[in-house]
Amino acid sequence: MFDCIKEAQGSIKQEGISFKGGHMKKVLILSLACVLVFGFMLSCAKKVEKTPPPPPPQVKEQPQVEKVEEPAPPKEPELTEEEIFMRKSLEEINQEVPLQMIHFDFDRYFIRDDAKSVLETNSSWLKKWDSVQVLIEGHCDERGTEEYNLALGEKRAKSTFDYLVSLGVSPDRIKTISYGKSQSLDPGHNEMAWAKNRRAQFTIIAK
Amino acid sequence: MKKKGILFYGSLLLSVVLLLPAQQEVYLSIKEGMPAIPLAIPPFIVHESSSNTQEAAEILHQTLASDLKYSRIFQELPKSYYSYIRPLNPKQIFFKDWETIQAKILFVGEVSNDDGKGVIFEGKIYDVKAGRGIFGKRYQADRSLLRFAAHKMADELLRMWGEQPFFTSKIVFASNRDGNWELYMMDYDGYNQTRLTFNRIIDYMPAWSPDGKTIAYTSYQGTNAILYLLEVYEGKRHEVTSKGTSFAPAFSPDGRRLAFCSQEEGGNSEIYMATSEGKGIRRVTFNKATDTAPTWSPTSRQIAFTSDRGGTPQIYIMDAEGSNVTRVSFGGTYHDAPSWAPTGDRIAYVSRVDQIFDLYVLNLRTKQIIKLTEGNARNESPCWSPDGRHLIFSSNLSGSVQLYSIDYDARNLQRLTSRGENKLPDWSHQ
Repeated sequence: MFDCIKEAQGSIKQEGISFKGGHMKKVLILSLACVLVFGFMLSCAKKVEKTPPPPPPQVKEQPQVEKVEEPAPPKEPELTEEEIFMRKSLEEINQEVPLQMIHFDFDRYFIRDDAKSVLETNSSWLKKWDSVQVLIEGHCDERGTEEYNLALGEKRAKSTFDYLVSLGVSPDRIKTISYGKSQSLDPGHNEMAWAKNRRAQFTIIAK
Repeated sequence: MKKKGILFYGSLLLSVVLLLPAQQEVYLSIKEGMPAIPLAIPPFIVHESSSNTQEAAEILHQTLASDLKYSRIFQELPKSYYSYIRPLNPKQIFFKDWETIQAKILFVGEVSNDDGKGVIFEGKIYDVKAGRGIFGKRYQADRSLLRFAAHKMADELLRMWGEQPFFTSKIVFASNRDGNWELYMMDYDGYNQTRLTFNRIIDYMPAWSPDGKTIAYTSYQGTNAILYLLEVYEGKRHEVTSKGTSFAPAFSPDGRRLAFCSQEEGGNSEIYMATSEGKGIRRVTFNKATDTAPTWSPTSRQIAFTSDRGGTPQIYIMDAEGSNVTRVSFGGTYHDAPSWAPTGDRIAYVSRVDQIFDLYVLNLRTKQIIKLTEGNARNESPCWSPDGRHLIFSSNLSGSVQLYSIDYDARNLQRLTSRGENKLPDWSHQ
């Protein structure tokens, strides 16, 4: 093995010296392990690259949707709002941001008055599209510690969850997750950035 | 004979406590303020004059000298002293010379070329007063592993002095240097930074198993924050749980259990316990408050953690089964991220005052508190070195969040990272 380091045995003679054996093996294992980690990293990297991007299944049908807006040929029936919605991919729907995020006070997780009206609008949309499932992400600003922020983010997601449920949205349609302070919306280090980053935001995960 | 020498230098106390008939627990305790041992480490003797070997000798010397200085056990003599005495001849050492410049220990290093493949590094330790060798080691090392060979030598020295060696230990951390948060590891001194995960989302809050082979961490995948075990050198990954947001893993020092945080339906973070393989998950805290950030006592029988059951986040200690909960942090409104020292007597933690985070060390025996960091910054996520004399933590002291190390007595602050932002460090146990 080329990149190995070995302790030669017993070649230094000193009074009171004792040599411990077995190091060579350990070191060999260590360097072998390094090679394995490297190999693992490579294979991981390859794997990730190989993973095909999620197929956009409705892309081909897009032209049809656009045609609707053009002077439609008389034979084709107009698509209903629901049909248009169902033809969109989740990414397309999320890009339109149908559910607005809400914000929280520093260190707090109660639903503020300004957030209540936002959640009411969100709950009407969720009731209209009652097959939709949503993920609530709780986020925090950088002025909390990592561990406590993850717990706080979860509480923000949960109080948002509870409020939507109180407005009549079925709890089976909502999942929650906390990102703590790992995903800032605004990288700034001022009151405005912090206020933006203390939030619960919504991602549509099924329809 | 030599053991007496170790006790004379006295930076270690070993007390063996018998608790159960077949179980022994060993506590290490550090005698603070002991003077470091004056050590002479003159430039290594190079047996071939090739510039390659000369360069290797310099790397070995510099690495070993900085390891020994970092240890706080040894204190390197000023280099200028070597010019006051006769030059070192490894075949005939004039110990009286070394005594006159106040060296207690003399390290003689010799480096020679190993047929172009690498180098042979030979280190001998002498007791200057007794005028004789204590021990020696010989390493044959590839040129890419010179630092590793020097670290091994330094570990041997600590072991010889009855100290916990840690120069070959590793620090795992999260970094966004390549775009998103992924896990990386590095040597204790910041060298050899290596990427470990490639998930392209967020990999977060890593923790070493005590054997240094497995890392527990949280990986955000789709709609889940999953707790995984990664066998670092095998490249295998196992899921522990994908329920809720599971985070802040901590292996017990005896290697049997894994504590972590997760939530029941209530969205409230609680502490859970599994086997070290991630099986048999059960909940250990039960209340409406947030319970988070578990850290084990070196005996594996107690856990310190953060809870806001008293209104504000504070540090508590409980038995690993969840009973006998006691609050240990007072005098502040926001304490988190406890790290129990391997010496058992101290807990480092973060305290937030006016949006500044500073690190403190609480001595559980004397109840004395030491403030470790001072600065208009967020100093976070402290983690002890295996010997309990140093801590690694993250700080935005320089603007961006980077990893730093500092000694138990607030001395010797050093920055270890610079690419991207780096945080959530965990120091391997050996």
